[in-house]
Amino acid sequence: MVGLSLGEQNFIKGGISQDLRTDGRKRLTYRPIFVETGIIPQASGSARVKLGVTDVIASVKAELGRPNPSYPDKGKVSIYVDCSPTAEPTFEGRGGEEFSTELSSALQKCLLGGKSGAGAGIDLSSLCIVGGKVCWDLYIDGLVVSSDGNVLDALGAAIKAALSNTAIPKVQVSANASSDEQPEVDVSDEEFLQFDTSGVGRHYIADATTAEESQMSSAVSLSINRQGQICGLMKRGGAVLDSSMILDMISVAKHVSEQLIKRLDSEIAAAEACDDDEMEL
Amino acid sequence: MAGKSSAAAATYSPSLTGQRKKRPPIQTDSEWVRPDGRGLHQCRPAFLKTGAVNSASGSAYAEFGNTKVIVSVFGPRESKKAMMYSNAGRLNCNVSYTTFASPVRGQTPEAKDLSSMLHKALEGAIILKSFPKTTVDVFALVLESGGGDLPVITSCASLALADAGIMLYDMVASVSVSCIGKNLLIDPVSEEESYQDGSLMITCMPSRNEVTQMTVTGEWSTTKINEGMQLCLDACSKLGKIMRSCLKEAASGPQD
Repeated sequence: MVGLSLGEQNFIKGGISQDLRTDGRKRLTYRPIFVETGIIPQASGSARVKLGVTDVIASVKAELGRPNPSYPDKGKVSIYVDCSPTAEPTFEGRGGEEFSTELSSALQKCLLGGKSGAGAGIDLSSLCIVGGKVCWDLYIDGLVVSSDGNVLDALGAAIKAALSNTAIPKVQVSANASSDEQPEVDVSDEEFLQFDTSGVGRHYIADATTAEESQMSSAVSLSINRQGQICGLMKRGGAVLDSSMILDMISVAKHVSEQLIKRLDSEIAAAEACDDDEMEL
Repeated sequence: MAGKSSAAAATYSPSLTGQRKKRPPIQTDSEWVRPDGRGLHQCRPAFLKTGAVNSASGSAYAEFGNTKVIVSVFGPRESKKAMMYSNAGRLNCNVSYTTFASPVRGQTPEAKDLSSMLHKALEGAIILKSFPKTTVDVFALVLESGGGDLPVITSCASLALADAGIMLYDMVASVSVSCIGKNLLIDPVSEEESYQDGSLMITCMPSRNEVTQMTVTGEWSTTKINEGMQLCLDACSKLGKIMRSCLKEAASGPQD
């Protein structure tokens, strides 16, 4: 994917083994995160996250729908990711399609939890309005604007920011079937996810750039909530891993995610404050 | 034919002697009875057979309880599209469901997602360098979906690859575990999958003890992941042995 000379490859590998990466970061340091919320007026909630050069937009739209007959007391959430060919030429045609299904299925696994709804990032029962009759359908759409590695983490952060920015109308069902809408009631989303990409030889690195991703043997994406519980795990990349290495990566990821959650919280709070100021003006 | 099926239909379960000691504390909180009457840590009976499709270079049929899968492997053959030259071979995986595979017609899981998961699970085990410039196609068809589809597809695909004579580092065995309440259930059926709190799937190469693919959904603590992984790896090594004996039997059959 990335054309790197042998010298460049060795430079990346050598840097990682000495805990100093090409952009001056340590192995487990993230790139600067920039969050902007409320950027799409047509959506119920939206956010843009920049992680270094990686740039993604997430939007949340809410629509009224019918709940799935097998889970009558739960709302529905669907997650789609679109990889625009403007971000990278390889995203054109089937390449982009494959990558987007991979991203959306990873996000779905982490956000929606088990089939019974336990451990989900979004509380599906809070989206139910009348059991078995009406519920909210949340459509979460991600767009990859520019890609320089670790798109999954950026999307996770953007979805988190977009959800915290989401306001859906409160619907009351009265006896004569006229629904009364009051805007600006937040959807509840308690737990949240962080991803951590690791790999490259015998060392683990977090938040890899495209150049680093091309050199890694395998990657593990983990989602960890505030309580330090694991909400999802996906192995990416072809090479095999020892089971003890996976456990090792889990403990590393837990440590990294604690810091990341804190940083992301303050970034989102800052972005929302900025958004409110604009509304007042 | 008759000789083949009788020996291959063996049950497997992860080291019963070791697990028996662990079982009581898990069952104390509820007297769980599984729909098919199995123990919590007991896998479904597995039936494996190679050579299910004549026209393919290799094929296998797997039946784990109600889950029935056929996998055929074609190639190594010329890469179809105008692809760039590559030193390593290519692997192409495709999973499809029959329309009658699930109780409700046409309501089958995302086949595209399963295809990419299967690709990732097999990629690490195949010696791609052994067939440069060419492609190996793996087509899986789920005849009946009875839970734990992906693990069955993956194990069956690796058997088909071996049958086709594709060079592998090792056989790939795959097992999933469901978490319901405080219990861990190995090899869940669809009924159990529909109300599980979380699931863990491991695909590994048993004799090398290496993991080629792993997914976790739902909320797990580290100790629980550890327990689940150990359970899966144990079952994988048992399943690996069954797969190996199935291959050996197929190879020695014609000589008799």
